[in-house]
Amino acid sequence: MMLLLRQIIMLTGKDLRIEARSRQTLGLVIVLGILIIVVLGLGLGPEQLTNGASATATLWVAYLFAGVLVFEKTMSVERHDGALASLLLAPIDRSVIYVAKLISNLILMLILALVITPVAVVLFGFDLSAAPGQFTMIMAMSILGFAAVGTLFAAVVSSTRLQGGLLAIVVLPLALPLVIASTQMMIQLFRDGKPIGGTGLTVLLAADVLYLVTSWLVFELILEP
Amino acid sequence: MKQMNSIFVSIYWLATLALLAIGVVMVFAYTPTEVTMGPVQKIFYLHLPIAICTFFSCLTVFVASVGYLWQRKAMWDHLAHAAAQVAVIYAAIVLLTGMIWGRAAWGAWWQWTPRLTFSLVLWLLYVVYLVIRPSIESSQRRAMICAVYGVVAFLDVPLVYLSVRLMPDIHPSSIELEPAMKSTLIFWFIPVIMVTVGLIAASFKLAKRQAACNITRELPLPKSKTARPLRPTITSGNRGVV
Amino acid sequence: MTATDLITADKQSPQADALDWVIRARGLSLHIDDRAILHDLTFDINPGSYVALLGANGAGKSTLLHMLATLTVPTAGELRLFGKRVGRGNPAIRANIGMIGHQPMLYRDLTALENLVFFGKLYNVKNPTDRAEELLDQVALSHRADDPACTFSRGMVQRLAIARALMHNPKLLLADEPFSGLDMASGRMLENLLAQLHAQGMTIVLVNHDIEQSLALAQRAIALRQGRIVVDAQTCELDLETVIQEIGIS
Repeated sequence: MMLLLRQIIMLTGKDLRIEARSRQTLGLVIVLGILIIVVLGLGLGPEQLTNGASATATLWVAYLFAGVLVFEKTMSVERHDGALASLLLAPIDRSVIYVAKLISNLILMLILALVITPVAVVLFGFDLSAAPGQFTMIMAMSILGFAAVGTLFAAVVSSTRLQGGLLAIVVLPLALPLVIASTQMMIQLFRDGKPIGGTGLTVLLAADVLYLVTSWLVFELILEP
Repeated sequence: MKQMNSIFVSIYWLATLALLAIGVVMVFAYTPTEVTMGPVQKIFYLHLPIAICTFFSCLTVFVASVGYLWQRKAMWDHLAHAAAQVAVIYAAIVLLTGMIWGRAAWGAWWQWTPRLTFSLVLWLLYVVYLVIRPSIESSQRRAMICAVYGVVAFLDVPLVYLSVRLMPDIHPSSIELEPAMKSTLIFWFIPVIMVTVGLIAASFKLAKRQAACNITRELPLPKSKTARPLRPTITSGNRGVV
Repeated sequence: MTATDLITADKQSPQADALDWVIRARGLSLHIDDRAILHDLTFDINPGSYVALLGANGAGKSTLLHMLATLTVPTAGELRLFGKRVGRGNPAIRANIGMIGHQPMLYRDLTALENLVFFGKLYNVKNPTDRAEELLDQVALSHRADDPACTFSRGMVQRLAIARALMHNPKLLLADEPFSGLDMASGRMLENLLAQLHAQGMTIVLVNHDIEQSLALAQRAIALRQGRIVVDAQTCELDLETVIQEIGIS
C-alpha cells in the first residue's frame, strides 16, 4: 500500500514538474477557458448570463473543453520520445499509471477552475452566493467523473490517428450524463432557488464510481507503447 | 450447404417483408384512429418496438465488447460493429418518429423532454462508436478501443436515463390502448425483431467477409540450411522449420 | 558464472532448470489481423549470454524484442523470464529487464539527471542520485547532467537512453538498434560498454541491422526471416555470406 502510494506520488510529481518547467498545459487551457466564457457570454448577452443557470452552464462548457485539452496534453508528455514505454517497462502496476495520471489531471483541472471561475464571476456578475457549497460539490463530482473517463480515453486516443482535438468527440458523449445531471441541478439551485434532490447526486456518484472502476479495470488493456 | 444457407436467408427476408406488410395493413385497416392525436398516433406501432430493439442492439454491442475483451477474437468485434450500426439506425428512427409525434402533440419538432433527450444522447453515443472506427488503423487496436468504448457507452445508458429524469417531463406516460391497438402493437414486435436480427446478421457477415479479404496470404516457408540445433541442450531450433 | 558452467549445472540437476534460463520461449507466435508476424518461435537464452537478433527489415526482430520486454503479448505460446511465466499482473518480473528502444523513452523537459533519478526511483534503486551520476560519467554526459534532454543531440540522447536502461542494473538487457545515431567514437564506447556488461554477467540481446558488427560482438546469433527462425548458431560458426543469404529480403 505504502509502495503504491509512493509510486503514485512519484509519477504525479514527475507530471507536475514537467508542467512547471514547460508550462505547456496550464497557460493554454486557462486562456482557452476564458475565451470560451467570453465567446459564450457575448453570444448569450449580459441579461441571460446574470441568470444563474446559464452562467453555470457557461462555466461547464469552459471546464469541459479546457479539460479535454488538459487530458490530451498530459498524455502527450508520455508520447514524446516513447516515454510511456519506459513506464510500461518499469515494475509498477499499470493501474498505478492510470491513477497517477488521473491525479495530475485533477490537480491541473483544479487550478483551471480556481482561475476561470472567479473570472466568470467578475466578468458577468454571476451570483454564486446562493449556494457556493453545493456548486463546488456538484462541480467537483462532475469533474472527477469527467477526468476519470477523459484520462482513460486520452491514453487510447494518443496512440491513434484520432489525435488533435478529437478526444472531445469520444469523451463528450460519454460525459453527457454528468452534464445533464449537473446542469439540471444548477437550474434547480440558481434559477428556481430550490434545494437539489437526491437523484442528481446519485447520478453523479454512480457515474464517478462507474467511470473510475471501469477505467481502472481496462486501462491495462488499452495501453500500448 | 451454402445454397441452403442463401435459401434460408431469402425465405427469412420474404417472411419478414410479408409480416411487415400485414402489420401495415393492420395499422391502417384494423386499428381505430386515436381521438386526441389523430392518425399521427399510428407511428407508435413502429416507435415502441424499434425503441426496444434499439436497446437490444446496444446490449448486443455491450455483450460483444465484453466478449472481445475476454477472448480477443475478431468475431466479437465484427458483431459489436454490426450491432452498433443497427443501434444507430434504430436510434435515429426512434428519434425521428418521436419528433413527429412531438410535432403533433406539442406543435414543436423539438422539446427538451427526457425521452427525446434520451434518444438523442443514445444516438450520439453510438454514432461516435461508428465514426471513430475508421480513424484507427490497426484492426486489433480498433477492436480493443471500440470494445472499451462499447462497454463504457452501454454502462452510460442507465446513467443517461436517470439524469434525463431530472428534466421537466411532458411525455405521455401511459396511453389508453384499445384491444385492437394492443394486438397490433404486439404483432408489430414480430417483424421488427426479425428485421433487427436479420440486419445484425447481415452486417456481421459482411464485416467477416471484409476481414477475410484483408488477410494477406502467408508466403511459403523459407528453406533453411543453417537452422540446425548446434547445442541441443540449449537451442532446440525452430519447430516450425525443422 | 559462465554459460558453460550453467549448461553443466543443468545436466546435473534438471529440476533447477527454472533458474538456468533467463529467457525460455516455447512456440511464441504473434498474429496481427490474421497475419503472422512471429511464427512458432522456440528458443532458450541462458544467463550471461550475448545474443544478436538478426533479420531483414520487417522480419520481426523488434517485435520479438518487445515481446521479450513484456510490452507485446504473444497470441500463442509461452514465454518465461527468469523462471517465471510472463502474464498479466506480474510487474515484478519487469524489474530485471533493461531496454534500449527505437525511441529514447525519456522525458524531454526533465534534465538528464532528473530523468535518471526518476527512473531509478521507479525501480526502487538505492541512492538513485549517486547511481545516476556514476552512469552519466560512464556515458560521458556528466558535463550536461543539469540540461534538459530536449537540448541534447541525437547521439547524446541515445547515450542517455543507454544510461536509463542500466539505471537499475538489470540482469537482462534488450537493445534495439542501440548503435543508430551514434558517431564512431560513441559507437565504440557502446561496444565496449556492452562487452564490459557482458563480462560482468549480464545477459544481452542485441537487435542490430549491421550483421558484421553483430557477429563480431555477440556469442550467438538468432536470425529471423518472415517471423521464423532461420539461423540459430554460435557466431564463431557463422560467416557473413551465409547469414545474409539466409536472411534474404522480406
